[in-house]
Amino acid sequence: MAAEAHGAHEGPLVPVYVWDLVVRLTHWAIVLSMLVLTVTGIDIARPFLHGASGTAGFITGYVRIVHFYAAMVFSLAVFARVVWMFLGPRRSGWRQFVPVTRRRQRDLIGTFLFYIMLRPAPPPAVGHNPLAGLTYVAVFGLYAVMILTGFALYSVSAYTSYMSMWQVLLPVFHGPQGARWLHHVVMWLLLGFGVHHFASALLTARVEKNGTFDSIFSGYKFLPRDRKPDDA
Amino acid sequence: MREAVATLRQELEGRGISRRDFVGFCSGVAALLGLPRSVSAQIAQALETKPKPVLVWLEFQDCAGNSESFLRASKPTAADIILDLLSVDYHETIMAAAGHQAEAALAGTIKANQGSYIVVVEGSIPTGAGGAYCTIGGKSALQIAREVCGGALAVISVGTCAAFGGLPAASPNPTGALGVGEAVPGIRTLINLPACPVNAENLTAVIAYFITFGKWPATDRLNRPLFAYGKTIHDACTRRAHFDAGQYVEQFGDAGHRVGYCLYKVGCKGPVTYQNCPNVQWNEGTNWPIGCGHPCIGCAEPYFWDRMTPFYAHLTGIPGFDAAADIDKIGLYATAAVAATFTAHGLVQLGRRTYDRRKQAGATAPPDPPSGPPAEPPDTTPAADAAQKGAAS
Ligand code: HEM
Ligand code: SF4
Repeated sequence: MAAEAHGAHEGPLVPVYVWDLVVRLTHWAIVLSMLVLTVTGIDIARPFLHGASGTAGFITGYVRIVHFYAAMVFSLAVFARVVWMFLGPRRSGWRQFVPVTRRRQRDLIGTFLFYIMLRPAPPPAVGHNPLAGLTYVAVFGLYAVMILTGFALYSVSAYTSYMSMWQVLLPVFHGPQGARWLHHVVMWLLLGFGVHHFASALLTARVEKNGTFDSIFSGYKFLPRDRKPDDA
Repeated sequence: MREAVATLRQELEGRGISRRDFVGFCSGVAALLGLPRSVSAQIAQALETKPKPVLVWLEFQDCAGNSESFLRASKPTAADIILDLLSVDYHETIMAAAGHQAEAALAGTIKANQGSYIVVVEGSIPTGAGGAYCTIGGKSALQIAREVCGGALAVISVGTCAAFGGLPAASPNPTGALGVGEAVPGIRTLINLPACPVNAENLTAVIAYFITFGKWPATDRLNRPLFAYGKTIHDACTRRAHFDAGQYVEQFGDAGHRVGYCLYKVGCKGPVTYQNCPNVQWNEGTNWPIGCGHPCIGCAEPYFWDRMTPFYAHLTGIPGFDAAADIDKIGLYATAAVAATFTAHGLVQLGRRTYDRRKQAGATAPPDPPSGPPAEPPDTTPAADAAQKGAAS
């Protein structure tokens, strides 16, 4: 399968299973739900899906409902992924994100130098490289902001449901209008990240020739045979 | 307390308010409070027989708009009745006494009714420059508020200024204005009735509730009574069906505006504002802002002058950009810039690879030009390094 296609002209590169099923599933659940949340969210902010005048549709009503269901998928996927950082195998673990080892701290700079083209090759890594890992810490922080502001916004109209407990968050965001603002601005930060992430996945795959782009589908990267598992 | 018992009926009749008007008023209050119709008899009885609470009305940094709203009611209902329900012992705008006499009246009232009088505060309290921005009879607003509110049974802050600081507290808040709750901590019972101005019906209902039941209505985290501030304007709005149907006013005066579509896209803050305007309306139910085609500006929310502006846009701008700057445009350009940067980076990177490969091919002509990650000197062991080099080429 994929292994042969790559192995064929890469010679001694070997497939390494880096992304387990939970990592891949939550990744795609997050991507797809975020796409739906973005489209519906923009329509909530400045409705462009209009009701034909004179007809009594329920367009914005449905858009909000879709946003809320996608929000459930998104929140649960993010939650599951964070829990998996502590329960799952090492490549999914939190140490992939927070550079706690001396080695990862040093490679952080090395990777950065490579990205700005001051170094011919990146320090070897198997899972996330240290710079990417640290970026994902910020991204998960933004996810948390989206989820908390989203829950706070939802609580505004959740008069009798248990979701009204999130009203405690409203003062933190300067009231519902502040929550709305943050929810909106962070959406753009995440979109910017999304573009960056997609582009750099393509680019890394092309430049480093290690199957990074395909790995999130198949789970495998293609790495030099000697790359040790602790080249984390 | 004054003995005014049983004279209420006569007083009202003297003002041309019939028994029928009075009962109508009581059932209106019951409905506003969300209580069953049967309670209106209980309210009527309480209002007629219970002693009048003593009330002191303080004005600080304000425009007297709340007094106006309260006194200028077009029909002799809410204001007249409530003024007869209460013994208003101090109200700068309407009392006859002035100067030292007025100050003496205030001091006397507080002394005689320690712990049992009600204070209504209108306007914010400046704390800057030692309170010098607002003084009455040589005392700062802060001093007066501490003295008067400290011994009160309850304090009702009417209007957004008294409740949360309002307009005087808008950025950059030159006078250090605060709402009453913040300026005078430790008030026994604080009821906030924000809005610009307060809706007289809500004030009336709070006082009638107290007279009837001997306690204050349930409030939320911001001390706002739930009967009046328990729901957003959006969730009770008469135009809500148009919101859900995606039928919006795009511009003032357009076809949608003329037929009464939803005002969301011209900046309506109804979704983020708690108040019962859609149900109670204003000026004895004559109309209300959204009803006459103007988007809600969120006047009952804390710091609305800073947080709800621009009034005719959906969101506040981004700090550092023009206040009217469009977040979505900024976001779109930023996203496009990220994409462009990466495309450029990618092209350079690939170009360089190709160039290196060609050059190497020309110089040493190995059978197979290296294409993978080349040698990685500093952090791998020499052995691994060598192996990697082999592997990659
Ligand atoms: C990456 C994820 C998300 C994106 C990109 C996103 C995007 C948006 C946007 C752009 C808006 C319109 C804000 C405005 O009025 O200007 C919005 C509204 C909203 N979102 Fe999200 N959202 C996300 C996640 C969530 C989550 C996890 C929740 C949780 C319940 C949520 C709940 C809401 C609610 C309640 C509203 C307000 C709806 C209304 O005003 O009718 N969102 N979202
Ligand atoms: S006019 Fe304002 S409050 Fe009414 S439905 Fe539209 S957005 Fe909501």
